[in-house]
Order: sequence, then C-alpha cells, then structure tokens
Amino acid sequence: MENKAPVVLNAVPPYGHVIASEKWRNSSLIQSLKGGGVKILFENELGVADFHLPNKSCILYVSECDIIAGNGYKRKLVRYRNTSSSFQELVLVENTRLSEQYFSAVQKFVVFDLGLTLLPVGGQTEASQLIAQIVHGEDRENPFRRRSSSRLLDPLVLAMVQHVPGVGRVKALALLQQFSSIQELCNAPPAELEAIVGQAAAQQIHSFFHKPSTAGI
Amino acid sequence: QDSSVREPPAPSGPVCILADSRCISSGVELMTSLRQRHAATVHICSLDGSYFIVSNRMAVDRHSQSDLAATQNRKRLAERVNSLQGLFERVCLIVEKDRTKPGEASRPFQRTRYYDSTLTALVRTGVRLLWSDGADVSAGLLADLARLEQRKGQGIAVPLEVKGQHRQQALQLYLGLPSVSYVHALSMSHNFRSIAQLINSSIEAIQKGGCMSRSRAEEIYRFLRYSCDSFLLNTSKAGKPS
Repeated sequence: MENKAPVVLNAVPPYGHVIASEKWRNSSLIQSLKGGGVKILFENELGVADFHLPNKSCILYVSECDIIAGNGYKRKLVRYRNTSSSFQELVLVENTRLSEQYFSAVQKFVVFDLGLTLLPVGGQTEASQLIAQIVHGEDRENPFRRRSSSRLLDPLVLAMVQHVPGVGRVKALALLQQFSSIQELCNAPPAELEAIVGQAAAQQIHSFFHKPSTAGI
Repeated sequence: QDSSVREPPAPSGPVCILADSRCISSGVELMTSLRQRHAATVHICSLDGSYFIVSNRMAVDRHSQSDLAATQNRKRLAERVNSLQGLFERVCLIVEKDRTKPGEASRPFQRTRYYDSTLTALVRTGVRLLWSDGADVSAGLLADLARLEQRKGQGIAVPLEVKGQHRQQALQLYLGLPSVSYVHALSMSHNFRSIAQLINSSIEAIQKGGCMSRSRAEEIYRFLRYSCDSFLLNTSKAGKPS
C-alpha cells in the first residue's frame, strides 16, 4: 500500500542520453529520437515530467489532445511546476491547426501564471528534433552566454565628463589630471576649477553639477 | 531579494512602456494596438536598439521566426542579447510568425536544426521566449508583461518625459554610466535633486533613486569614485568618441 514519491526526480541522464517516462516507449517521438542518435533510458518513476535531459533540464509534453480535452492539462502543469527539482523546467506545447485557437490561453497560463518556459512544436517529430538539439547542443559553446567583460573605466569617465556643457576633450583631460574621479570633480570648489579651465567654464561646471533639476525625492 | 527596499507602487492606472524610435517604423500596427486596444502609455525615446522597456528591470525584443532561423543573423542577435542582459535583469524575446503579403499563400515555416539550436541556446541563457502570431498579439503580450511587472512592484513609476534643458542634460549624463539603461537614467533624473546629490549618494540611495538592483547601484557607486589614471587617459587620445 505504500505510495512512494517518485524516486528519480533529480536523475540526470548520462551524456547523449535521455530519460523518458515509460509511457512514451512506443511513440513516434521516441522512434525519431533514436533515429537522431539519442539514446533512451526508460523510467517508471519520473513523476510528472516526460523527459529528463543531460543538461539538467526536463520536459513536460502538452499534446494537441491534452489542450482540446479541457483543463486537465493545467493541473498537470501546476504539479510539474511545484515539483521541487533542480532542473530547468521546459514545456513543449503542440501548436497545430486544431489546437492553435487555444495557444494564446495556454501560453498565458504556462508563461505568465506559472513562469515556465514554453516551446511550441508542430508535433512529435518536431519535438524529437528539438530534444535532439538540446541533447547534442550541450557540448557546443553557447553564443548567447554572457561574457563578463571587464571594461576599462578610464575612457568611460572621460566620455562622461564631456557630457558637462562647455567641456570638450581638452578640458576634460585637463580636469581629470587634477581631479581624478567624477566625485572629486563634482565636489571641487569653483576656485580650484578656475585655475584649470578659466572662470566662465568653472562656473558652468560647478552649476551643472549642483543646480537643482527636480523637486527631489 | 531587493523588494524590501522598494515600496511597490499601487498597481493601478495604465501601464507604461518605453519604445525605441526605431520601433515606430517597424511596427505602426503594434504601436497603435498598444495605445488603443491596451490603453498603454507609450513613450518613444532613443534606446540603443529597437526594443521595448516594460518595467524597471525588463526589456522586450521582437524578432520574426525567419530572423531567428537565419544563420547570418546570429552574431548580431548574440551581441544584442548580450548587451540587453548587461542592462536588464530580465530579457524577453517575442518570436513573431512571419507576415505574409495579402494574396500570398502562407508558407509554412520550415523548422531547421539551426533554428532549434538557437532557441535552445537562448533558453539556456535565461532569455524568456514568447510566441506571437502577429503585431496585435505582440502588443497584447507587451501590455501583459508590463502589467505583470507592475503587479510585482517593478512598473515604471516615474513620468516618462523629461522636461527642461538641465534635466535633459542630466539624463544624457546618467546614460553614460556603466550598465545603466534608459529607465534607470530616467528614474535617476526624476529622483535626485541634482547631479551632485546622485554623485554623493550612498549605494542604498542610488539603488532606491535609480529603481535598480543592488549590484547595479554598487557598480555606479564605484564608477563615480573611480580614480582615472592620467597616463591611460593620455594614451587613449586616439580613442573612440563617446
């Protein structure tokens, strides 16, 4: 009588493999995944998810039938979201001629209400191609991965000082020789600025920084 | 994690959206729909790319399916996504079905491996994808996103326009700060009494006045106090204009 929770909630398949829920065994999706060079492991205890992929993501497949049949798929989606796995949770939604009228509502529910990632597919064949890409793409470099660029700040400071009206490159360089940061420059008394850029510019710079521009917070 | 600092504004009234001026030419229909059907307040400004800002932390970019499927676009797309991720905590991409000319039979989109790999890579980077049939649906999605962000206390709460020459100049200066987007600069130009007040503010005050994350405020704080090396400045003489 024991009703054990699925034990393999966080099982990560080995490289090049997908763990598929047992119910998919005879599906065309699995057939074409195999054709695409993906190895399949079947598992009875995956919980709500249909597939586990090697890069720590999992997939719930919402078919055309699920969508047309009513709101039952929503409960499944909620359970899927609430599963506390450490995986990135993807939802594949069959967007076909029959289900397209519901797509907008499905998207709202999946993305806006549940905060999950939705990827539309035309059917099981397209889904298998997408899954194969996720599996094989794991070892490729992601072109969108953010490179943390350590920028040289000096040119940015120089450019910023040149936003002060009346200050061009020459004056900006002269000012930064004397006051090396924007804060120092901002807080410099007009008399000290005067020695570098002359009286008129000194006044202009000082008032630019200190002139009230709004009523404030 | 920083929501405790900010008081969420009452989620009422029309949603506010900033749009790049280039969005007009590419999306008259979308703009009209945003304003008329979704009663959104849309302000056109000059962003560094044709995208939308729907909250203090979210940018939305719009691409056609064939755009994402074209191999020659990848470098540009990657640069765009990278720069948006530097400026915003959340980046959404609306993928729109290609438009067919009137009278032309709609060709079904041919899904390629390349297209799938692009989608996969975007999802892995944390970009949120939304799917649209056309301009009208996209307008609805933009309004929904803005409303959702408003409910979470992240809506744009300052006036979208900046009036007066000095304030305009201050806005331009703020835009020169590293990792500062138009919406941060806008908030700062409304919330700080003077430029000097921002420059001498604590990290907490910058975070609050700029309606931004703690790490972004720290970056600005450090930048304002960053001591330039005059040698580096002089050698960068031939450097690029700002």
